[in-house]
Amino acid sequence: MKWLTTLRDARPTTSRALGITLLTLLALLITFRLSALDDAKLASGAAIAIVVVGLSWLIGWSGQVSLGNSGFMAVGAYVTAIWANHHATTPIFVTLLLATGCGALSGLVLALPSTRLRGPYLAGMTLAFSFAVVPLALNFPSVTGASSGLTLNFLNAPSWFAGLFTGPQATVNANAQWSADVAIVVAAVAFFFMANLFHSRTGRAMRLIRDNDVAAELTGVNLPRTRTLAFVISAAYAGLGGSLLTLLNGSVTPQTYSIALSILLLTLMVLGGIGTLSGAVLGGLIYSYSDNLVSLVNKVTGVNPASTFGANLKGIVFGALLILTMLLAPRGLVGLGSQLVRLFAQLRNRT
Amino acid sequence: MQYIYQGESSMNHQRIHRAVKLVSASTLMLGMLSWGVGLASSASATTATPGVTAKSVTIGATVPLSGIAAGYGEVSAAAAAVFSYVNSKGGINGRKINYLRKDDCYNINALGCTAGTGVTTLSQTQALVTQSHVFADVGSLGTAAQGTVLNYLNQNGVPNLFVNSGSSLWNQPKKYKGLFGFQPSYQAESKVFAYWIKKNEPLAVVGQIGQGDDFGANGLAGLLAAHLPIAKANQLTYDANVTSPTLAAGLIQDISTLKANKVNAVVLDSIPPVTQAILKIAYNLGYSPQWLISSVGADPISVATPLEVGAITLDYFPSTADTANSWNQWVTKVIKRFPAARADFPNYFTGANAGVLDANMLYGASYAVAFCEALKSLGKNVTRAGLLKAMTTVRFATPSQTPLRYSATKHQGLLGGSLAQIIANTNPASNPQYIKLLGNAEYTTGDTSTTPVITAAPIVSPIPGWLS
Repeated sequence: MKWLTTLRDARPTTSRALGITLLTLLALLITFRLSALDDAKLASGAAIAIVVVGLSWLIGWSGQVSLGNSGFMAVGAYVTAIWANHHATTPIFVTLLLATGCGALSGLVLALPSTRLRGPYLAGMTLAFSFAVVPLALNFPSVTGASSGLTLNFLNAPSWFAGLFTGPQATVNANAQWSADVAIVVAAVAFFFMANLFHSRTGRAMRLIRDNDVAAELTGVNLPRTRTLAFVISAAYAGLGGSLLTLLNGSVTPQTYSIALSILLLTLMVLGGIGTLSGAVLGGLIYSYSDNLVSLVNKVTGVNPASTFGANLKGIVFGALLILTMLLAPRGLVGLGSQLVRLFAQLRNRT
Repeated sequence: MQYIYQGESSMNHQRIHRAVKLVSASTLMLGMLSWGVGLASSASATTATPGVTAKSVTIGATVPLSGIAAGYGEVSAAAAAVFSYVNSKGGINGRKINYLRKDDCYNINALGCTAGTGVTTLSQTQALVTQSHVFADVGSLGTAAQGTVLNYLNQNGVPNLFVNSGSSLWNQPKKYKGLFGFQPSYQAESKVFAYWIKKNEPLAVVGQIGQGDDFGANGLAGLLAAHLPIAKANQLTYDANVTSPTLAAGLIQDISTLKANKVNAVVLDSIPPVTQAILKIAYNLGYSPQWLISSVGADPISVATPLEVGAITLDYFPSTADTANSWNQWVTKVIKRFPAARADFPNYFTGANAGVLDANMLYGASYAVAFCEALKSLGKNVTRAGLLKAMTTVRFATPSQTPLRYSATKHQGLLGGSLAQIIANTNPASNPQYIKLLGNAEYTTGDTSTTPVITAAPIVSPIPGWLS
C-alpha cells in the first residue's frame, strides 16, 4: 500500500482523479444491475449530492449558513428548461455548464450584500431569497409557465448505448440507465473539482476564516473576496444540481424549489456529515432511498401510510434522525464511522 | 510488511508487489465489467409487447385518489368497474384487462395526500412503465400533472390515451403520435359559454377565475377567441398548490374584485372543491353573478352546495337524472356489480345522493368503453402500433352524446357538448341538485377564433351487443 501513499503525496490531483474514476466506474457497473426504477432513484440522488456538497462546502468550510440553495437550484433548473425548449440540439453538457454559470451569477448577486452579514442575519437573508423564488416563478407565466412549469425532453439513450438492451422493455431500460449514468458522471466531475478545492489555497483560507476571521485577515486573507467566492461556488453547484434534476425529471415546477427543499438539503448534509465529500454522497443516497426508509418505519411501527399521520411520517422520521445525529454523531454518518473505529481501538487497547 | 524487503532485492520485490496488485485489480475490474454487462443481454423477455400476454392486457393510470383532487377518484374507479365487468364476460378476445390505478395526488404532494412520501405523477408513471410494464397509460388525470409525463411516455413508446383534461396539450399528433385526449378542449368549452352569454346575457360584464395552470389559461384563451370583451382586471387566477387558508384568502380578494367591477357573468375554470369555495365566498360577500362553470368543476354531487343552482355548464354526457337512458342504466348495472364499489363510490351507496350516477362515473365509463372497443378491433394481435391505428379508425360508441372521433391530425377527442344548467331537485328524497340539459342540441367547435360554434342534434350511440 505504500505506493498508494506515495502517489497521494507526490501527485494529489492525479490520485484524486484516479480514485474518483475508479469509484465512478464501479457505480456505472452497478447501474447495469439495478432495475430501471432504482436507476431513476440513483440519478436524482446524484443530482442532490451535487447540491449537498456545494452546501457542505459553504457551511462546513467557510462557516456561512445558507437557506437559499433551493433558490439557486431553481435558477439552474429554469435556465435549463428555457434553454432546452429553444435549443433542442444543444449537447447536455453545454446546457449543464450554462446552468452552472447562471447559478454562480445568481450566487454572486446575493453574495455581495450577504457577505456583510453574519450568522442568523445571513441565514435570514438567504431565507428571503428562497421564499421569493416560488412567487417569482408564478408571476412571470410567459417565461416560467407559472404553476404548470415548463416541460422538456427526457434524456434519450444514444443508439450505441440503446443497442446494449434487448426485449420489449429495451427502450425503457436503456433510457433509465442512460439518465443514471449521465448523472453519475456529472456528479463525479463535480466531486473531483470539489475534492481539489477542499485542499487548495482557497480551501485552507476558507477554513481559517471559519475558525478565526481576525487571524485570517492578519495572515493576508481577503475576507470579503473569499466569503463571496465560497457563496458563488456553492450557488454554482446548486445550479448544476438543479439543472441535472430538471434534465432527469423532464420538467420544472416552482413547487419543487420551495423553502422546504432548502431545509431538506441542510438535513441531508448534517445526516451525511458536514464538510465531507463522502457525507454528501451519503446525503444523496439518503434522499434517493428515504421513501424506502419511511415505508420500513411504516411497516415496523404499523402506522397506516394512508392516514394523515402516515402521510406526515417523512417529516417526523427526518426530524428525529436530525436530532439523533446532532446528539450522538455531530459529524454525521461519516463521523460516526470514525467514532466507532476510535471506540473499537480504545476497547482493544484496554484489554 | 516493508521490513521484509530489505537490501538490493527490495526494489524488485516492490515492483513484483505492484504488478500483482495491478493484475488483481484489473481482473477484479474485468470481472465486474462482465458481471455488469451480463444484465444487458439477459434482459430479454418472451413477449413482444409489454403488458400483453395470451390471457391479459395490463394497462395503468396515474390519478388523484387522495389530496386536493381526490373527488376525481370516481372517474378511474368507474373505468375499473367497466373493465371488471368486461372481464367477467370473458375479457376482450380472450384477454382480461388488468387496470392499475396509481395515486399521484394531482401531482400536489400535500393537502391530505396519502400516496406516500416523495410521490409525484412522474414517479408513479415510472413505476407503471418500469415495474408493471404497462401496455398503455389509459385515463390519467390532470392538466399540470400529466403535462409533466407526456414526454416520458412518448420517449419510451408508451401509448397515452384518454388523458382526463381539456387542455389542448393532448392534441399535438405530429409531436406526440401516441397521445390522445378525451374531453372537449377548455378553449372549445369557453367558446360555447361565450355563445350562451352572447345569446342570453348580451350586456353582461364578463370575468373569469381560472386555475393557475393551462386549465385556466386555455379557458381564458377560448373566451378571448370568441371575442368576448374581458377587462384585464377581471381575468383572475388561483394557485392550487397552496394551503386552504391561503387559497381562500386569494379567492376572497378575487371575488371582491369582480364584485367591485360589477361583473355579472363569471366563468369558472376550477376543480370541484375550489368551485365550492368560490360559491360559498361569493354568497358570504353578497355577490350573485351568473356562474358558468367548466364541466370538470361543475359536477353537482362533487361541488355539493345548493349555491350552485342556476349555474350554466357544459355536459357531454346524458343528464344523470335521465334514468330512462340506456347508457345510464348500463353504467348503473356495471357499478353495482363492481366488487370494490362500496369503497370506490362512497357517495353512491350512502347519503343524500345514494343511487344517483354522477358525471365522473359516466366520464370514466366512457373512456373505458372506448378503450375496450379499440382493443377489440385489434383481434388477437395486440400491439402498440395497432392500438394507435385503431384509435384513429374506430368509430367509438360511448355514453357521450357528442361523437368521439380521432384522426391522424386530431387527437383532442370530443369536440363539444350540450349546454346544461344546475337545477334544484324538488324531490327532497333524492340528490338536491342535478344537471339538466338545456334544449336538445350539441354545440361543437374548435380552439381558434376562426372555427364557429356549430349546433347539431345529440347522438345516442347504441350499446354494442358484446358489452350489454
